[in-house]
Amino acid sequence: MTRAAEEPLGGTPDADESLGDRAARAVLEFREGRTDALTDLVREATPLLWHTVRAQGVDRDVADDVVQSTWAALVRHADTIAEPKAVLKWLLVTARRAAWETVRKGRADLRRRTELPDDVTEGAAALPDAGPGPEAEVLTDERDRILWSSLRRLPARCQELLRLVSLADRPDYKAISASIGMPVGSIGATRGRCLAKLRAVLTEQGEASWT
Amino acid sequence: MSPKHENAWGAPAPGEDEPLDAHDVAVLGRVGRAVEAVDPVPEGLVERSLFAMTLARLEAEVMELQQIEAPAGSVRGDAPPLEARTITFTHERLTVMIALSTDDDGTHVRLDGWVAPAATLTVELRQPGGERTTTADDDGRFAFTAVDRGPTSLLVHLPDGGDVTVATPVIEL
Repeated sequence: MTRAAEEPLGGTPDADESLGDRAARAVLEFREGRTDALTDLVREATPLLWHTVRAQGVDRDVADDVVQSTWAALVRHADTIAEPKAVLKWLLVTARRAAWETVRKGRADLRRRTELPDDVTEGAAALPDAGPGPEAEVLTDERDRILWSSLRRLPARCQELLRLVSLADRPDYKAISASIGMPVGSIGATRGRCLAKLRAVLTEQGEASWT
Repeated sequence: MSPKHENAWGAPAPGEDEPLDAHDVAVLGRVGRAVEAVDPVPEGLVERSLFAMTLARLEAEVMELQQIEAPAGSVRGDAPPLEARTITFTHERLTVMIALSTDDDGTHVRLDGWVAPAATLTVELRQPGGERTTTADDDGRFAFTAVDRGPTSLLVHLPDGGDVTVATPVIEL
């Protein structure tokens, strides 16, 4: 942890600073007119926002828009966020809500356009298909395809959790907790169950060895 | 099974109360690579977001991206070929529709737009490198030629006394 040379003047970042801590610092500095930390935060947290939004069943064009709008909203609300420690959670919740909203509207538009009877899609706003299907064509390795199709057979919640956990070597569990609305204390156990399910499906497919 | 505090990701983070074995780490690693291959974060999204944040400081009201119509075959927002792409933005008081086509042998973009309800409104085109301004005609039509590619937003000044400005989300030309 001797990275003093990399530390910007005046900041106190260290290797143990979590993404949530960095988000808090970025907003505090932004309020004082310094934007570097916020720019770094955008670079670092955009993938988390992207995958959070995509996991709600939002298509890529719209997800692009939702992520941008979320960051823009942060700038507009930077002065009114009372608890800087909650900035990351605020971002993720804002992105999730905006994603749900676009999905809901998209369905309403589709219904209007096709003039089909209102066949109850409410309730389980828990969105059906959490991601791309045909796009999996980009996976050239057969084992990766099996892995992807196995992942997609898991409950939506497991898919979402495993996707987010898999994004970083050292995932920020507080951030993931905020992102999927699951208490941080239950993430470890849920992750364990989801991985066990994934392994079971993979084993069914005859994929036993991954190491 | 590895000791609790010695898994491949170092010390447990909050919530990481179950250790991962090597098999889990390998599976997660492959999941991560597959996610990045199948559903990559769009190129330029960070830059578009940063530009959107700059625009947000202007305190314009943001329009909603209503619809993108692209010729078959170019679906993704992050794919540069935008020939003949049409985009509609809505706001409670205004709709803006733009059609994009290539200009100058494909190195630049021509942007034809319509505002509705039609009015002679001032329209600004903002990019990280600068801004240009034009005025919509009586039919609500306006155009920008030889526009650089890159993150772009349109700002429209509404015609009432107050200085109300609406901005489109940032799009990638």
